[in-house]
Amino acid sequence: MKILICIKQLSDSKDISRFDAHALEEAILLKQEFENQGIDLAAVDVVTIGPLESSKIIKRAFGVGADRGYHIVTRDYEYISSFETASKLAVVAKKRSYDLILTGIMSQDLMAGQTGPMLAEMLGFPCVTNVVKTNLTLENHSIEVEQEMENGFRDCLSITLPAVLTIQAGINTPRYPTLSKMLTAGKKEIVTFNEAELFPGEAEPVRARETFVSMEYPEKTRSGHLLRGSLIDKAGELLSILQEKNLV
Amino acid sequence: MKHILVIAEIFEEMIRPVTWELVAAARRIMDLENSGLIKIITLSDDPLSLADKIAEQTGVDVIGLKIPGCMGYDSDVYKQALSWLIKNMEPSHILTAHTSQGRDFAPGLAIRLKAASISGVNKIKSDHKGLIYSRSVLSNNQNMILRPVPGIPVVLTIMPGIFKFDAHENIKKGQMDIFEAPFDFGSDSSGSICHKRIIKKACENKVLKQADIIVSAGRGIGEKENLEKIFQFAKCFSFSAVGASRPLVDTGWIGYEHQVGITGAVVTPKLYIACGISGSSQHLAGMKDTQFVVSINSNPHAPIFRHSDFCIVEDAVEFIQAFLKCKADREY
Repeated sequence: MKILICIKQLSDSKDISRFDAHALEEAILLKQEFENQGIDLAAVDVVTIGPLESSKIIKRAFGVGADRGYHIVTRDYEYISSFETASKLAVVAKKRSYDLILTGIMSQDLMAGQTGPMLAEMLGFPCVTNVVKTNLTLENHSIEVEQEMENGFRDCLSITLPAVLTIQAGINTPRYPTLSKMLTAGKKEIVTFNEAELFPGEAEPVRARETFVSMEYPEKTRSGHLLRGSLIDKAGELLSILQEKNLV
Repeated sequence: MKHILVIAEIFEEMIRPVTWELVAAARRIMDLENSGLIKIITLSDDPLSLADKIAEQTGVDVIGLKIPGCMGYDSDVYKQALSWLIKNMEPSHILTAHTSQGRDFAPGLAIRLKAASISGVNKIKSDHKGLIYSRSVLSNNQNMILRPVPGIPVVLTIMPGIFKFDAHENIKKGQMDIFEAPFDFGSDSSGSICHKRIIKKACENKVLKQADIIVSAGRGIGEKENLEKIFQFAKCFSFSAVGASRPLVDTGWIGYEHQVGITGAVVTPKLYIACGISGSSQHLAGMKDTQFVVSINSNPHAPIFRHSDFCIVEDAVEFIQAFLKCKADREY
């Protein structure tokens, strides 16, 4: 059983994207589940796309128990479309025959939620997004999952491996790296790729299907009157406003 | 004229209202482009009654795709059937809802159709080069504007609650075409995804839904112990209840019956006080129709302030303590 987790580093905090941390934790939990069942064939690999300093989150993944790290190196934290991201990840995913590929439901910064399902399509794997529970069955080489829908509904599915799952927050509590693992993490090798190595012989490997135009601030939907003064002034003013409106 | 295709959202054989919003978004595209032919596609084991209702409500032509054995949403069925149907139609746009269903199949469908794909669209505009689409990024703090490359279709997932469908008085019912898809999913036991059952998380959120006043807590309250302050604050008001943002429920600080948002309760109280809530789109969608919104957050750039009547830039817990003190002083 080989598991690959696709993780992303946030350009501002340099942390791992929150949902990817949950995906990584779920993979570690599945690996432990295997070990508990006496099956010691689970390998947990991680892959990221980003500038050199993104290797920080791969090392962190080693610190919680990941086995191998792959790093597709970019020049900067530039905007990369989901299509390009998925195309690059697909090249790495094809290098080893993974049974399960996990990633966050979306990245915390770009929030598109497209990389996982696009990657699945490129690999010809089935995909379940928005997963809030997994249950390893080993029956018919499949995994049982619960997919969150609106209004508290959940779809309980069984999905044949190999498959891609995108993980929702709340499925688990990501652990902290252990000191002993962090010490050995420094010695583990990270396999790096640049674009030319990913797509050898292709002049223009993958082209984005949508281009960045600009950034804007969202419009206000309410007046947004700002209360001013000291803490106690503001508290007093709110109390008066609510009293006037007969709300308190 | 190119097709602008709308994929109807069906859940338990009912048409989800977001479908009408998709039609409104399709009309917006047609108006901006000054061309286009809108068609709505619905998939079902028995699409006739669904197609009939959609054609009647919208006045738009409907394609009912009959898929024997399709008893509900399935990503493989949707991707295979839709790509089969759409490939021959050469559409300019394919619109689905940015919901659990749409987000599940749209990106894969875009790959199959070699189309551009933009998710969570909250605004459609045009500039001198054509249509551009806005989507929320950076925890709702900013919008990113994207332009699909020309010459290929674009798959859009449309954020619910943005585009308003206005029903005309005398809608002339749209035409219906029923096609049968040339594959049988029902007897195909080799399908890679097998739906076992749909469950509903046991949840008693009547208190929240019926409350006149909701005091809601988010991650900004810092620690679990501070929830006590939130409950104390809520007690200042009659017919009040305590709400919470998703992260607090996910971390187990408070029960799911308190969750406000798309995946929790959609509430419309007289007063909503957001304490330490940044304002994710899923949370905002759950409380946007409140009469009066007050937000307290230490981050002056928190997105929730754009959707509030009164904004207080303070640590929520410290502010509540000051408020309780003021109230006690005045009562004295």
